[in-house]
Amino acid sequence: MSIFTPTNQIRLTNVAVVRMKKGGKRFEIACYKNKVVNWRAGAEKELDEVLQTHSVFVNVSKGQVAKKDDLTKSFGTDDLTAICKEILAKGELQVSDKERHSQLETMFRDIATIVAEKCVNPETKRPYTVNLIEGAMKDIHYSVKPNKSSKQQALEVIRQLKESMEIQRAHMRLRFVLPAKEAKRLKEKLKPLLQVVESEDFDEQLEMVCLVDPGCFREIDELIRCETRGRGSLEVLSLKDVEEGDEKF
Amino acid sequence: MGLSSLDKIIALQRNPANIRNLCILAHVDHGKTTLADCLVATNGIISSRLAGKLRYLDSREDEQIRGITMKSSAISLHYRNGDQEYLLNLIDSPGHVDFSSEVSTAVRLCDGAIVVVDAVEGVCPQTQAVLRQAWLENIRPVLVINKIDRLIVELKLTSQEAYAHLQKILEQVNAVTGTLFTSKVLKERAEEDEEEEEKKKDSKTLSGDQVYDWSARLEEADDSQLYFSPDQGNVVFASATDGWGFSIQQFAQIYSQKMGIKAEVLLKTLWGDFYLNAKAKKIMKGAQAKGKKQLFVQLVLDNIWSLYDAVVTRRDKEKVEKVVTSLGVKLLARDLRHSDPKVLLSAICSQWLPVSQAVLLMVCEKLPSPLEIAAARVEKLMSVGARRFDSLPEQTQELKRAFLQCSSGANDPLIVFVSKMFAVDTKALPQNRQRPLTHEEMAQRRDLARQRHADSRAADHKGPTHSERTPQEAGDTLNLRSSDMDGCVCQMESLTLKDSKPEEEEEHQTFIAFARVFSGVAKKGQRVFVLGPKYDPAQALSCVSEVPHLSCCTMESLYLLMGRELEELEEVPVGNVLGIGGLEVSVLKSATLSTSPACPPFIPLNFEATPIVRVAIEPKHPSEMPKLVRGMRLLNQADPCAEVLIQETGEHVLVTAGEVHLQRCLDDLRDRFAKIEISASKPIIPFRETVVRPPKVDMVNEDLGKQHKIAIIHQVKEGRSSATLHVDSGGLVTLTTPNRLATVSIRAMPLPQEVTSLLERSAELIRTLEQINMSLREGKSLDISHRTLEAIIGLKTQLEILLQGRKWRNAVDRVWAFGPRRIGPNILLNSVEGYQRPSVWQCLGRVVKAGEAGAQVIRDLDNSIVSGFQLATLAGPMCEEPLMGVCFSVEKWDIQSPASPQHQDSLEEDSIAHGTLEDSKVEGSSETLEEGATAGPIQARRRPEAASADCYGPVSGQLIAAMKEACRHAFQAQPQRLMVAMYTCEIMATADVLGRVYGVLGKREGRVLHEEMKEGTDMFIIKAVLPVAESFGFADEFRKKTSGLASPQLVFSHWEVISSDPYWVPTTEEEYLHFGEKADSANQSLKYMNAVRRRKGLYVEEKIVEHAEKQRTLGKNK
Repeated sequence: MSIFTPTNQIRLTNVAVVRMKKGGKRFEIACYKNKVVNWRAGAEKELDEVLQTHSVFVNVSKGQVAKKDDLTKSFGTDDLTAICKEILAKGELQVSDKERHSQLETMFRDIATIVAEKCVNPETKRPYTVNLIEGAMKDIHYSVKPNKSSKQQALEVIRQLKESMEIQRAHMRLRFVLPAKEAKRLKEKLKPLLQVVESEDFDEQLEMVCLVDPGCFREIDELIRCETRGRGSLEVLSLKDVEEGDEKF
Repeated sequence: MGLSSLDKIIALQRNPANIRNLCILAHVDHGKTTLADCLVATNGIISSRLAGKLRYLDSREDEQIRGITMKSSAISLHYRNGDQEYLLNLIDSPGHVDFSSEVSTAVRLCDGAIVVVDAVEGVCPQTQAVLRQAWLENIRPVLVINKIDRLIVELKLTSQEAYAHLQKILEQVNAVTGTLFTSKVLKERAEEDEEEEEKKKDSKTLSGDQVYDWSARLEEADDSQLYFSPDQGNVVFASATDGWGFSIQQFAQIYSQKMGIKAEVLLKTLWGDFYLNAKAKKIMKGAQAKGKKQLFVQLVLDNIWSLYDAVVTRRDKEKVEKVVTSLGVKLLARDLRHSDPKVLLSAICSQWLPVSQAVLLMVCEKLPSPLEIAAARVEKLMSVGARRFDSLPEQTQELKRAFLQCSSGANDPLIVFVSKMFAVDTKALPQNRQRPLTHEEMAQRRDLARQRHADSRAADHKGPTHSERTPQEAGDTLNLRSSDMDGCVCQMESLTLKDSKPEEEEEHQTFIAFARVFSGVAKKGQRVFVLGPKYDPAQALSCVSEVPHLSCCTMESLYLLMGRELEELEEVPVGNVLGIGGLEVSVLKSATLSTSPACPPFIPLNFEATPIVRVAIEPKHPSEMPKLVRGMRLLNQADPCAEVLIQETGEHVLVTAGEVHLQRCLDDLRDRFAKIEISASKPIIPFRETVVRPPKVDMVNEDLGKQHKIAIIHQVKEGRSSATLHVDSGGLVTLTTPNRLATVSIRAMPLPQEVTSLLERSAELIRTLEQINMSLREGKSLDISHRTLEAIIGLKTQLEILLQGRKWRNAVDRVWAFGPRRIGPNILLNSVEGYQRPSVWQCLGRVVKAGEAGAQVIRDLDNSIVSGFQLATLAGPMCEEPLMGVCFSVEKWDIQSPASPQHQDSLEEDSIAHGTLEDSKVEGSSETLEEGATAGPIQARRRPEAASADCYGPVSGQLIAAMKEACRHAFQAQPQRLMVAMYTCEIMATADVLGRVYGVLGKREGRVLHEEMKEGTDMFIIKAVLPVAESFGFADEFRKKTSGLASPQLVFSHWEVISSDPYWVPTTEEEYLHFGEKADSANQSLKYMNAVRRRKGLYVEEKIVEHAEKQRTLGKNK
């Protein structure tokens, strides 16, 4: 080997390596940066826009090409393009800067959208706009965690935002009918879960319309189902209790 | 301004014959405010030296910076003409098109208008607009041709050329007036014809001798008073910056003395094709034909030209002196020596031909006083809407008399019209202002201060020595004599004032109504009725109890408007413009105030430009939301044109007339009303998603063969079918819940367009229907009014009519639900075999045939299906926007009941063979039908589902999710389309900008529906539709491209399907040829869809980097 000097040192730039272990051997292919994720998502359809070369390497940075024997042994074929496609689809890759950036940005937006959809301004019962939520998220320095689902993170964000601004999850409007026997007992149990009781009608059965936090829905559902043994009924009147229509000043 | 002149003005206010209410109107930058400056300078409010530079009435900071007027402001001036003293209520108005609403507010309060026209630019779009406005309000205009100095200095015209030029301008102005007149006459004629026609129909006698009259009655109508002509005395030639101006009369008088010609003769001949025959000493006609100088040129223009020549161009000192002596003008040595010739010029001119003199004289002579208010105008003002004046109640008609007489007697009813509300700093109000103290007060305060001083001294040092005290006291007295100490005391006083009124400091803005008294006397503290625009005097007169649109309020204070200053008044008699405080609660933007309930509200202001520029406004910090809302409320009140609304999406939308107006509104919001940082952005544009029938032709208009169909099916199958999901070639989607217990099969179909719009229209009705159904399900009976029932039956029959054909057989009876939110324009159809579910029309059925209801029962989990449908229609798969016009038909719905059913149900075996699918996991399923054991009330009941509560959660939840997914897949199996909201756009444009109008519309995907010429004018009226998504910046571009000659108006009209498929890729050979493999040409619906998806943070199928090779190939640290 020659001496490693600056003149013969070739830096691989614009290269993203995708690796895969198969049959006890490690295979690599040389791809362009910021393209592999697009390929996997199906946005990029041109293989040549993804692959630098159709050859399969053992080590890309050293330029060691994989032996044909090893390839056929591991993949059962020597069609380099087919092998490249398989490695592209299944191999492990390092996400490039722009890919990560766009992923995080998309996720950030997604979280903001979910928050805006789920929440209202408690004073006006109107939703906040996504832009405003995004601004608020930046204000509290929320950092997106790429390995958690956006919905989970959205719930987390709502909790954090409550400290800095007037925000609240939009209430669900539920209506339930309870048989008279269990009504009193059940009502006591339900009480802590209900936010606002809009109407209450007690003749043969107890009929209630109330606003609840969507987080409690399952609990309420369970409670009514188990306690009344199927004689009570629960109905979702609206998923979100928001002001409808435009309002002119 | 001194107090003496305030008294004078108050005295003058009582004499309506000598009041002139006028406004100055013109195109932007034609010199309105400069002219106003000259007039203001006559009253000594500003120095005449600064007139034209100060722009006194532009009191806002941004007005001064931008150099345009943004609001109308009033000032009262006093003018003495011989032995007559006049009070002029002058209103300066903005010329920029964005603020034309301010012009409307000004015009309404006036009896006359000064129309200013630039001598170089001539008639401009806004000149036309203001002439139209003045015309519509029936106020009399006079003309000022301004900036004549530019003809001399800039264009370097000879006096002869200038004369021709001026004549041309005059003709242009008169042409505009002429078209207004002809269009009015034609309109009247059309109305008359209609009436005649009706009469004929009524009588039904077709006499043979019908006379057709095509004379258009134009000849009969008298229009001689209408036009501007110098010899009529309603034209002034001026240069407001140089401070000169004249009317023909002035010169006629000068020359009648000099030359001994009668003034009347000169008056008639000074303007026009006349020349002076020096030999014959006669004025002859036909100057042009004989190549002679017109009289006007010879006697008037030449003088001015030579003056400019001497002073500005050649700077000939001797000649100047000669001119000065011949004019009999006295000049200050300072002006003579000044290096800038303009100073000298204005010094000469302002003494020779002061512009204010000419204009004021013309105003006093030619414009009507409030006494001369035209009967026609009164009738027009008082007849709201399409109602004729004659149809108003008698008492109301009597008011017209009070109106016309303009009397200010004690028992005359008070009628005041408020045209706008404007915000004033509370500190600037006269009550709170520091006013100069009278002598007694000063003395009093001096004593007080001395006392206090002494007291504090005494308290501080209990035993001060005499030697210390005396000099201080001496000093005190000394100081007190000087004005400094007074200032101190004043400050002290104001400090204590401030302390006592901390609440007032909070409210920085006070609203003052900009108003005019049309009848009676407005007194401070008087209680008046506030009449809303929809108020009907007939209602108030017939019943005494609660009358809509009527409220009561007190006029807490009255002000004299003096530009940026206000003077407090005790009472304001008829015919005056005034400011009223204390109305902010009861008056929003404009209103009619009266002491008589018989008074009708005045017709609403006629706005030339409707607000069309929409932006969404947000505070920088979310916690400041309440402040923003409050600020926007104030802004809404303060601006006659701006609209403010909160949309369902939670956006705060501000609608303004144009970009400049928007900028002003934002500045106001930032600095005055909300006092927070705000950001304005493009508003969110709503879309709808729908499906359509499979297209018959492809993108290049070729008939689609089988080839394409295969392609579609291929696309659908690819990657969609999984273990629980199956899509067949007909678009039927079968989905099984994760626990493999329930299966639903759904097909999506497009609804006919008429059905969609019918459902949209009857959303309210469907809501009531839903409520009725819900109570029915609970077994309660709700009292349904007969009318509602009829309406529902009507809706049903209409739907039946619209849904014809094999596909929709019995569809209306099978409607399961509407969505989203149970009221939307999408339908869930029950096509399940063997499931006789009561349809949404059950309330009708109950009335018609009550017996059958027992046989129809609702299955378990029926609600989950509906919920799933609601969720699916609320957010479609394309970009999570609501669906519209889609029908989901549930073809199969099977539930495998869990192992041990605890109740005795009749199980109905219903095995379904899915012949087409091989990998179907559903072999057969049983369907549980709850028998009507407890027949009678139909009730949905929840069964214990303990057994089924497995790892996938409760069945109901799973079914909702499955239903939602199934709907989405069924939707995707059909050709999907995006729907955009459309504006109808009405454009008034002159013929010469028509081409550019079409250009702008075409660029923004607009479509012209029709165009027609407005009768009697050269204006075209174009009606077009334009996607809301393309409307941002539309108005601005429009004005730029057409130089303001066309003005669009946008109103939301309907939803429209975009014909292009957002998922379209070339499939047929022709399409490949035409579009290439990638289909690079812009796909409108894809563009919209991706924009929405990006905004919402959804996945957008887009490459991060377009060309892999073209990336930056170096590492970051190199």
